[in-house]
Amino acid sequence: MKNNTNVFIKNRGILIFFAVMLLAPFLIGLLEGSSPAVILNNRGSMSKFLEGLGIEIFILAMFALSYDLLFGITGLLSFGHSMFFAVAAYLTGIALKTMHLPFWQVVLLVLLVAVIQALLFSLVLPRVKGVTFTLVSLGLASVFHIIVMSSDMINLTGADVGLQGVPVPAFISPVSERLRFYVIALSLLVATFLFYRRFVASPTGRVCVAIRENEGRAKMLGYNTTLFKIVVMVISSLTASIAGLLHALYQPIISPGVADLGYTVMGLLIVLVGGVGTLSGAIVGAFALRLLDFTLRRYIGESAAIITGAIYVIFVLFVPYGIIGTMNLRQFKTKQGWQRLLGLLKPKE
Amino acid sequence: MKTTLRKNSKAIIILVVIAAFLFVAARGMSGKDVIITVLRGFSIGSVTFLVAAGFSLIFGLLDVLNLSQGTLYMIGAYVGWTVYVRPDTFVDVLTPILLILAGFSLSSLWERFAKRIQLGAKPQKIAAWVMILVGFGLLALILTRYPIASWDLNNYSQSPITYSYMADQGMPIIPAEAVFQKISPFVAVIGILVTSSLSAFSIALLNSGTATTETANWRKYFVPGVLVLVGVLALVFNARITSWMYGMNSNWLFVIAILVSVISGVGLGALMETTLIRPLYSRPIYQLMLTLGLGTIGVQIVQAVWGRPEFVLPKPALFTGTGGVCPATNLADLFENHCSTILLLGGRVRVYDEIFIPIVGIIVLIVVWILLKRSRIGMIIRAGVQDRQMVEALGINVRRVFTLVFALGVGLAAFGGALAAPSSGLTPMMGEKLLLSALIALAIGGLTSFPGAALGSLLVGLIQQFMIKYGQIGIPLPFTDAVFKPSPPLVPASTVLLMVIVLLILPGGLLGTKE
Amino acid sequence: MTVRDTIIETQDLTKYFGAMVAVDGVSIKIQAGTLHAIIGPNGAGKTTFFNLLSGNLKPTSGKVFYKGVDLTGKPIHRMIHLGMGRSFQITNIFPNLTVHENIRLASQAMENMNFRLLLDTAKMDRCEQRTAEVIERVGLKNQSYLPARVLSHGDQRKLELGMILAPDPELLLLDEPTAGMATDQVPELITLIQDVQKSGTKTVILVEHNMNVVMSVSDRITVMHQGKVIAEGTPAEIAANHEVQTAYLGGLYDLNL
Repeated sequence: MKNNTNVFIKNRGILIFFAVMLLAPFLIGLLEGSSPAVILNNRGSMSKFLEGLGIEIFILAMFALSYDLLFGITGLLSFGHSMFFAVAAYLTGIALKTMHLPFWQVVLLVLLVAVIQALLFSLVLPRVKGVTFTLVSLGLASVFHIIVMSSDMINLTGADVGLQGVPVPAFISPVSERLRFYVIALSLLVATFLFYRRFVASPTGRVCVAIRENEGRAKMLGYNTTLFKIVVMVISSLTASIAGLLHALYQPIISPGVADLGYTVMGLLIVLVGGVGTLSGAIVGAFALRLLDFTLRRYIGESAAIITGAIYVIFVLFVPYGIIGTMNLRQFKTKQGWQRLLGLLKPKE
Repeated sequence: MKTTLRKNSKAIIILVVIAAFLFVAARGMSGKDVIITVLRGFSIGSVTFLVAAGFSLIFGLLDVLNLSQGTLYMIGAYVGWTVYVRPDTFVDVLTPILLILAGFSLSSLWERFAKRIQLGAKPQKIAAWVMILVGFGLLALILTRYPIASWDLNNYSQSPITYSYMADQGMPIIPAEAVFQKISPFVAVIGILVTSSLSAFSIALLNSGTATTETANWRKYFVPGVLVLVGVLALVFNARITSWMYGMNSNWLFVIAILVSVISGVGLGALMETTLIRPLYSRPIYQLMLTLGLGTIGVQIVQAVWGRPEFVLPKPALFTGTGGVCPATNLADLFENHCSTILLLGGRVRVYDEIFIPIVGIIVLIVVWILLKRSRIGMIIRAGVQDRQMVEALGINVRRVFTLVFALGVGLAAFGGALAAPSSGLTPMMGEKLLLSALIALAIGGLTSFPGAALGSLLVGLIQQFMIKYGQIGIPLPFTDAVFKPSPPLVPASTVLLMVIVLLILPGGLLGTKE
Repeated sequence: MTVRDTIIETQDLTKYFGAMVAVDGVSIKIQAGTLHAIIGPNGAGKTTFFNLLSGNLKPTSGKVFYKGVDLTGKPIHRMIHLGMGRSFQITNIFPNLTVHENIRLASQAMENMNFRLLLDTAKMDRCEQRTAEVIERVGLKNQSYLPARVLSHGDQRKLELGMILAPDPELLLLDEPTAGMATDQVPELITLIQDVQKSGTKTVILVEHNMNVVMSVSDRITVMHQGKVIAEGTPAEIAANHEVQTAYLGGLYDLNL
């Protein structure tokens, strides 16, 4: 086993991704004939549009990452994951619009509520296992969805129309300062990814993988598995909440759809397409799905959802390891093949 | 002996709980409010039960959480609506569907050709894919040219809403017949048969490498033969059947509509289990994700075919009598005049919604219960829920039982959909809502317990209805004069709350077994 | 150790499954540093008794004392930290993780670094060292980076033993460690178990069907029948015990019926 301790070499994939994504707006700007200065002033139309798409993808990828940690790494299949995202999004919207809180307080509030939510889920965790946990999480999230959709809350949440007209602080306004928003979202995603990577390699992360593989055995090894699940829940909730916060700032309307089961399924789909439990799969999946959805909607229209659904079913049936998982498997096989070949060449001792 | 006593004591406790709940809930309500609310609770509970029962049977035996159950419930409702309001569409669609089914069951005919051509593994795989593409491509081409009298979502006067409304008013619009223009009927029939059997065959080829060889006997051709015959007959006598159905007594038409939706539910269930669920038994989480995905696709398809807006399935004549002695005050009046409402303790009760649906629910409960307790297949199912390996060891064809149970479970959901359609109306959202109720009901009652499904559904129905009622009249709070009116979002929230409480105390649900 | 202390003790341990009694008023004392075998015909309640000892099941009544401390009703994960390790009749490992990872997880449990979220596990030197030691000891060094699921059954049993040894427990509960193993691999595993027990001051409690193994390795034997202890003593005493023979013969007779 290689013990590459150099942080940069270990994480070269994501660092290259970071660099490419940072340069992308300028490269696209050059293609459409606008200088970097124009891009910096947020005036290039094409690159600005693509920056927007990028921001959406980064937000989705963060949401999917948090889902992958919960489901892919720890094996907790929650159907209430969109609640973390939606609560943060709505809270940001309401705090800025109705409560007029300063921005840093909003961020603190969102993070605090994220922890509280995770603990709420954790209250249920030790009691119910497997499928029942899935159902309970679905139940909790549906309650939130119902509350958001209810006409009694229309002044706060905008009910089924969605929350509109959130006053976004000028320094990260997605309209006038889109490039800054883009870089912030990208950096947050990369930072989260690096943290997750580190986490999965940490003693805590390894125990989480053990819990996914065989929870009973992990207990018998002397681990208080509930505690580990709570930690994962809190991390996952925090990440999803940051994604939700960005979503609320970026989107002109916070639609109640983000509180829906459908949004959780979206996260599941991204993770599945990218590769369950691979982390990088979440980013790849988010790119693949959002771009596909974007193209389909452009050329087919409404019924694109059926095709997305069909892709989902095809992945479940035929590509269970997802893009990254299948690639890793291939790589492993090729590596094995090479080793066998080298073994043949080596003189026998 | 001792164990049965324990079980009974649990049942007694549950009865006491329900009685206590009713007693507490009904305080401060007038008699007529109580009876209407209880009946509505039973009604919602019955429909929830139909979905939940199928769900629990499937989960108990197959360990599959069928999250598409809600969508199948919705499809049941829409199919029922189509048969009842637009029999012409139904008759038009019947022929291609039967032919496709016949084609699929005739897929083995292609084996002889396949045997002659010996290909390597890879070319064979490519050939299979090519055949699938060709088969489905041609099938799609034929089907788009096949004439089906339908509605037009973009034209209000020809939308499902208008058809429903006019049928409800007793003046159904009889649309123009669809005629063969772009394709000759003969080519259509043969083409559908050939292309569908080709695609089915190449799928089988892809799955197994070589298609299965069974000994040929007449039985193998009997089912597809009948399907083709019925399909062709439906095509030849299309106009006659359509006009016969339009002129039919609405009660009988309703019965046919329900039967058709149950049959299509059973068929869909069998199809799903054999083609999509079966390859995934070794990966339960993927099964769950698959059913979830199928559920969303189903909703999208329904939205594309029937449209988003809500409409209703008109009630049959048996439940629509008005005027004269209606609302009925006694049973004789009710039966004579087919009143739509009846007076109970001074409150008007809708006969279909609040009397008929609960009765059907109870009948289904009893029938399925007897089926489970007394029949051979029921015993296999119950044994399988207890210990699947044991049943397999006994040499029972578990696969077939699995398919059967899945089909039965989905059929129950479709039945529930068709039954509920006249009272709840049809929207593409109806499935998701009901699935949530059913899941809550099951979590309360115990996921794999059949009586648990009934109990949970009843509790969910009652709580929902009492909360709605209290939302109207308000709960007098103790020690103050203030009145608390639970707002509508509290209705589902209250059931979820009950679920969480029950699960925290009894993780297996009220009647479930401990894990 | 000359004066042997009691390491684990049960008092009237009883477990009902519904109306059926699986373990019926068992009171035994097991001395530290011995290899103690529990035998009995099928359905005698040995595994249930084990589950009660290790905390996997809660007794209907009765108590378990470990070094004089009442353990009844304590969560399972505590047991390990008290120095108890347990294997299962059915191989219970992490199938998709490597052998190394399986053992490492087992030794990591004793470290107090489980919640250092940003620590790289490769840098936990003590843990790595211990893992290497254990892998060496159970003889899986050549397979250490293979996923556990591809190991042969015998190697999986060894891996499982390694996972119990990794936290360095004082008391080992082994439930049929040789079950399903190829006959030629059995002696190897038995020697390993004996080594472990002799080398440290460890106590081993063993459930075993293979009578040759039991008679040759154990210091003391407890015989269970229908949930009760019917005899206890040295291998020689047990071999001569009339009641034990009837119980076994009765068991065989039942099986043939």
